[in-house]
Amino acid sequence: MNATFRQAARTALVLVSVAAMTAALAATALASHVVVRTSVPSTGVVGDIVPLAIDIHTPDGAALSGTTVVYYLHMAFAGVEGEAEIGRAVTDDAGIATLLYEPRSAGVHDVRIEYLAPGAEKAEEVVATFEVAGGAQLYQSAGGPDIPGINPGLLMAVLGGVWLILLSVSFRLVSIARAGDAALLPEGDGPR
Amino acid sequence: MASVSVWQDRLEETALAPVRRTTARFWALVAAEVAVVAWGIYAYTVQLRDGLVVTGMRDRISWGLYIATFVFFIGISHAGTLISAILRVSQARWRTPVTRIAEFITVVALICGASFVIIDLGRPDRVLFVFIYGRWQSPIIWDVLAITTYLTGSIVYLFVPMIPDLALFRDRLAGRTSRWRTWLYRTLAIGWNGNSSQRRSLAAAIGVLMILIMPIAVSVHTVVSWIFAMTLRVPWNSALFGAFFVAGAIFSGIAILIIVMAILRRTYRLHEYVTEKQFLYLGYLLAAFAAIMIYANISELLIHGYKLEEGAEFHLRQLFLNDFAPLFWFYLIGGLFGPIVIALVPATRNTLGVVVAAVLVTIAMWIERYVIVVSGLRVPLMPYTPADYAPTWVEWSILAGGLALFALLITLFTKIFPIIAVWEVAEDHEATVSAIELTPPAVPEMPAPSGGTYS
Amino acid sequence: MPLGQIVPPEQAATPESSPKPWAATIPRRRLLRMLGLGALAVAPMPVLPELLRTAGSGRPLEPVGGPRKPATTRDGRIRQWTMIIDLRSCDGCQSVGGPPRCTAACIQGHLAPEPMEWIEVYEQELAGGGTRFVPTPCQQCQNPPCNNVCPVGATFSTPEGTVLIDQDRCIGCRICMAACPYDRRFFNWGEPPTPPEARLADYSPEHQVPARKGTVMKCDFCPDMVRAGTLPYCVQGCPNDAIYYGDLEEDIATNGKVVVSASRFLSENDAFRQREELGTKPRVYYIAGHGEAVGRDAFSPGRAETEWPWTEIVDGAVTWHR
Repeated sequence: MNATFRQAARTALVLVSVAAMTAALAATALASHVVVRTSVPSTGVVGDIVPLAIDIHTPDGAALSGTTVVYYLHMAFAGVEGEAEIGRAVTDDAGIATLLYEPRSAGVHDVRIEYLAPGAEKAEEVVATFEVAGGAQLYQSAGGPDIPGINPGLLMAVLGGVWLILLSVSFRLVSIARAGDAALLPEGDGPR
Repeated sequence: MASVSVWQDRLEETALAPVRRTTARFWALVAAEVAVVAWGIYAYTVQLRDGLVVTGMRDRISWGLYIATFVFFIGISHAGTLISAILRVSQARWRTPVTRIAEFITVVALICGASFVIIDLGRPDRVLFVFIYGRWQSPIIWDVLAITTYLTGSIVYLFVPMIPDLALFRDRLAGRTSRWRTWLYRTLAIGWNGNSSQRRSLAAAIGVLMILIMPIAVSVHTVVSWIFAMTLRVPWNSALFGAFFVAGAIFSGIAILIIVMAILRRTYRLHEYVTEKQFLYLGYLLAAFAAIMIYANISELLIHGYKLEEGAEFHLRQLFLNDFAPLFWFYLIGGLFGPIVIALVPATRNTLGVVVAAVLVTIAMWIERYVIVVSGLRVPLMPYTPADYAPTWVEWSILAGGLALFALLITLFTKIFPIIAVWEVAEDHEATVSAIELTPPAVPEMPAPSGGTYS
Repeated sequence: MPLGQIVPPEQAATPESSPKPWAATIPRRRLLRMLGLGALAVAPMPVLPELLRTAGSGRPLEPVGGPRKPATTRDGRIRQWTMIIDLRSCDGCQSVGGPPRCTAACIQGHLAPEPMEWIEVYEQELAGGGTRFVPTPCQQCQNPPCNNVCPVGATFSTPEGTVLIDQDRCIGCRICMAACPYDRRFFNWGEPPTPPEARLADYSPEHQVPARKGTVMKCDFCPDMVRAGTLPYCVQGCPNDAIYYGDLEEDIATNGKVVVSASRFLSENDAFRQREELGTKPRVYYIAGHGEAVGRDAFSPGRAETEWPWTEIVDGAVTWHR
């Protein structure tokens, strides 16, 4: 309950800040003489590839290739929040850098893309948002010992067979006991 | 003829004598054995009260004397397999005087061996969990299944060939002995009177058992070895362990059989039946298995020693040069080369020599089990100083108690049950006598056959 | 081969000397049934019920305490706990001037009996000389030798990939200790020397307090803590933030200060695992180093001895050495 409320509040906050940042960045982009466009699918599923593309052009429309861009994703785990680098890419001849990212966490994510435009003193950034829906379990734990090739049925069959033979011997003993009242036949095998 | 009847009477009297008459010396021996067993039980109560901390085992060497003794006793239990089963299948007649004791050693050794595993448990009050929650993937469960099967099979295999002799006791001791004995022999003889249909059933039962007991016995010591071989410890990580342990088991089983037979032969004057021939043949078998053990050891040690992988160098050094050197060299020289030398040298190729060889082998095989367990655990897994292990008084006391229990059960057995398989020895004798009678008279120039050389 | 007649004809069985065998007085069918049931009763099939159950279901055995809810991500996927230890930042607490803090935190947090070090800092020799310190918790193998050999299922894997021990089921046979190749399992040889307050806790396999005599214990990756969203004691205790705890399902890890993408952190730093050739598939990763990030020189050996700071221990308890 608390977590959902917090998450909803955070999502709202994120959306507002994204809007603000986009506006700010757009202004920045214009001011720093490169035009940046991001192309991020709005939704994705955990375990599928989400391509995060960024396009850098000069204002006159020429593509800016060879620029390294670094992607950061905001994450939270065990009470610690922060940004983690999720990948790097280099813009190609068309000025486009694409990171094929496999999201592993459901929810709304901000990806902050940092790039150093030629001529600028410090790195600039742009933020995109995408939402990820939950998917299937990716990791399966071994969940207990699993020894291939040892068949309990076979073991039980072998063991059962051995015990059945022992049981058959016990039947022999029964027949010895039952024949105990039969008379001793003088077959000439007395002591010579 | 009459001489056969006299021979037969003498055989039966010899078999009945221990039950008829009990000396004070016997009771003194039983008292001594009971005292040692009682001391062992006291040591175990100390262990139950304070926990396994009273032993020398610790986290780094977490198995020691108890598991070594468990393996030793299970190994000894293969005495019966060899003598009763293998030699019976191969129709070696000379084995008949020793089969009964061999089978009883098997049963007693299995009981003692199983006790040592329970003594080693940290929570013996939970031993039934093995049956309630047993996991078939565990080598210990394989061990439990194999040992219960072998114990049941051995008890049956001890009982079935004993039926005619129990009938002899029933008939000859009726009214002349205590009531419980009369009742015991009458019940256990299950109405045997030697008629043809009973003889057929008995022969069929023995035939089935002697074949069945062999794979059971092989599987028992193989799964015992797999308790070690299914781990990742360098000295235990060997595909050869199963065969190695089975060979070692039969080896130590022969040695114990020699010792027990020597003692019983002296005590109950069985010299006419358990002759030097039995000891010599068992001595040859001992030497043959010593050779097999030497071969197995060379295979293991040379393969690891040639490559000297991680951990192998440490292990070989501790075996041959450092901590375990005195024990290991005694095992190699006294236990493996000793029997071969004794069998080869004419001066030592007699009953006394063979008994000395058997004593050496028994001690050496216990040492070998101890070295396998402790040195195997001592090779360090991570960068720490190798630990040391020394058994404490509790462990030595319980070992002494276990050995005394082994001796006590055999001692009591000789007073209750026939220690010689009378009907088998008689049968063997009859067959030999009739064979001699049926052979045509020898040509005078040929030397007369030396006495006592039965086939 | 005729069986020699034991009794001479003159002493042949007469009705007085050899009474009618008791077996012959019982009707045949009933006798057969008695013997058959008797034989089956002593069969070694006592293991059969459990064997059939586990064989059929393929599930791991439930611990005695009952099923637990696994830790999940927000969208319900089961977490797969992992630990990443950055050896560049671990100097064995030489700069701290005391025993390794990860071990100390674990001992205090779990009231671990002396001399157990569930996370133990080994000093390994480097190939070129010098040493590095390697904090070693239970490696939480995905092919755990300890699980495989346990006869009663007292040690088991959870859905999160953690290996736990149920001290209510352990029979103390110690085959798991022989099987573990990392020296990470510890036995309560006597009454465990813990402080008396340990007796106040409720035992569960996820929170092994109090320890029980005659059973095995080890590092459990603090499952109760991480499910609640806090980090294990060792992670919290490290002064250099060298230990990261993470979830492979969500591909995330943290050392308490920063968050990283676990897969990137591992692959970009050429992470390795201990004794990989054994095929145990451990969940504890290491990033090679020797404490250089916190100023340690590879050739300065030695660390302080671990201490168990109990002022008082339970009655009747003794300590022992490893």
